[in-house]
Amino acid sequence: MVTILSRYMERRARINESIPRFHGIRNNRYALVYLLPMAAVFLVFTIIPTLFVGVISLFHWNVLSPALSQFVGLKNYQDLLQSPVFWHSLLISLLFVLGTVPTTVFIAVAIAVLLMDNLPLRGLVRTGVFSPYITPVVATSIIWIWMLNPQFGLINSLLHAAHLPAVQWLESPHWALLGVILFTLWHNMGFDVIIFMAGLTSLSSELGEAAKVDGASSAQRFVYVTWPLLSPTTFFVTIITTIGSLQAFTQFFTMTQGGPLGATTTASYLVYEMGFLFFHEGFASAIAVVMFLIIALLTIVQWKMSERRVHYQ
Amino acid sequence: MTGQERPRLVVRMKIARMAVKMTAILAILVVFVFPDYWVIVTSLDTPAQVVLVPPLLVPQGHWHNYVAAWLAAPWVRYFANTFFIAGLTTLSVLVTSTLAGFAFGVLRFRGRSFLFSAVLSMMMIPLTVLLIPDYLILKDIHWLNTYWAQIVPFGASVFGIFLLRQFFLTVPQDLIDAADIDGSSQWRFIWQICVPMARPVLTTIGIYTFMASWDAFLWPYIMTSSPSVQPIEVGLARFFGGAGVSTEWTVLAAAVMFTTLPIIVLFLFFQRQFIAGASSTSAGVKG
Repeated sequence: MVTILSRYMERRARINESIPRFHGIRNNRYALVYLLPMAAVFLVFTIIPTLFVGVISLFHWNVLSPALSQFVGLKNYQDLLQSPVFWHSLLISLLFVLGTVPTTVFIAVAIAVLLMDNLPLRGLVRTGVFSPYITPVVATSIIWIWMLNPQFGLINSLLHAAHLPAVQWLESPHWALLGVILFTLWHNMGFDVIIFMAGLTSLSSELGEAAKVDGASSAQRFVYVTWPLLSPTTFFVTIITTIGSLQAFTQFFTMTQGGPLGATTTASYLVYEMGFLFFHEGFASAIAVVMFLIIALLTIVQWKMSERRVHYQ
Repeated sequence: MTGQERPRLVVRMKIARMAVKMTAILAILVVFVFPDYWVIVTSLDTPAQVVLVPPLLVPQGHWHNYVAAWLAAPWVRYFANTFFIAGLTTLSVLVTSTLAGFAFGVLRFRGRSFLFSAVLSMMMIPLTVLLIPDYLILKDIHWLNTYWAQIVPFGASVFGIFLLRQFFLTVPQDLIDAADIDGSSQWRFIWQICVPMARPVLTTIGIYTFMASWDAFLWPYIMTSSPSVQPIEVGLARFFGGAGVSTEWTVLAAAVMFTTLPIIVLFLFFQRQFIAGASSTSAGVKG
């Protein structure tokens, strides 16, 4: 303990020595004043609420008069662990992640590799693939609801043309999640394509050229050279799409409202449902805390990996 | 003879490969752009045409849907609200990010790296987690159902601070020396010398903030209740839900079209910056 303390004091003394007074532009006297505006926003609307959500999760919260809220300790968490609805929502979130993340990574890599070639229409296709990402989710998900309409929708017309049976899509508990997954893939793919293109651009072409000289086919060059070198980007995309999918809400709201029969109620959707439709703020906050822990863990893993990568490069 | 045939074979293989790639690329283009084309077609059908099987693939010119959609909801109000909210949010993000970027990039002070890590760690906190506590806080300060509830909580951005810190780290010492010799204040140095230089970065941050603000749904849906302060996407969802089971898809498609048009125009104007922004998220995290 004493050694830790003395080491700390030593370090502080060193820091104090190493940061002298600066003058003119680098005058650091008002450094904290420049940070104040953003710090105020984060403090009031992000940091305090994050702590607050932990506090709420320990209460039987009374929405109408918070003063009457009852402290119940970990009871909300106990209820959570015994609630089939909660476990089911985690399962749906997991299925949604499994349905969106690996597919996004593979399709986005394929499109990015294709677009790296100097083909005609390359710019137009890049714009086309990216454009769904910038259009609002409410508006575009409405288009997809119409396209997935079991009677008049375009997708069932295509299935019909291919002599496949019609699917009830968003109206069926078995198919609704797939419908939302298809929309999400379409909407977000362009962003990941751009990231992969940036990753491919930053790769040195030397190794690929060397493999070409050695007689490697383009498929071999991709499998043995490009794909391994691209792994940092792949890892980054995997993590951010996973986080994005865990947080996805709007398309579930417009397309299925968590239904039919809870078939698309993800953990994020359950927070909304419990908190704002059923007014179980305590229970909803406990779910939110679990979500926070999962996402924080994923973010930290992502940081640790990118730190390690920087050292090796 | 074989000597002539071989190169011809190589050329033929090249052409074949090119054809495969072009087919793939055109298929991709169709998949990603077709839904947008489809909404245009739907918005110009009559209610009888829209339910035809197989569907009509060519726009029919029934412009009345647009009139019907426009008259059915207070769109002017929704548009004005959205431009106000997105505009002020963007301005606020640009100002707070510039100030913080200057402090983190140019100044050296105690706790700098700790504070910067703290800012980055804000990324870990998802909106879903903040929904309930922020609702209670906004209720307490009587900000529910106001513009402020939709602007102030989004007035600072980790992405913006990060990119501007990167920018300020690259400001050359020579420039700082020159400003010092001139006797320039920090304030003038930031706004009159650095900000014009940072225009590309600021544009990227600005359009992304504006787009995110325009796209916002869950937050305004929960924090507001009256159309007088609600943004366009909430208005569209309300219009969609309000139409209920007997939704006229043609009219709805028209509403989707005109509510999305401004964002598409913005995208076409700033395409390069949009793509630069997407690329820089990954470059940023790579360090």
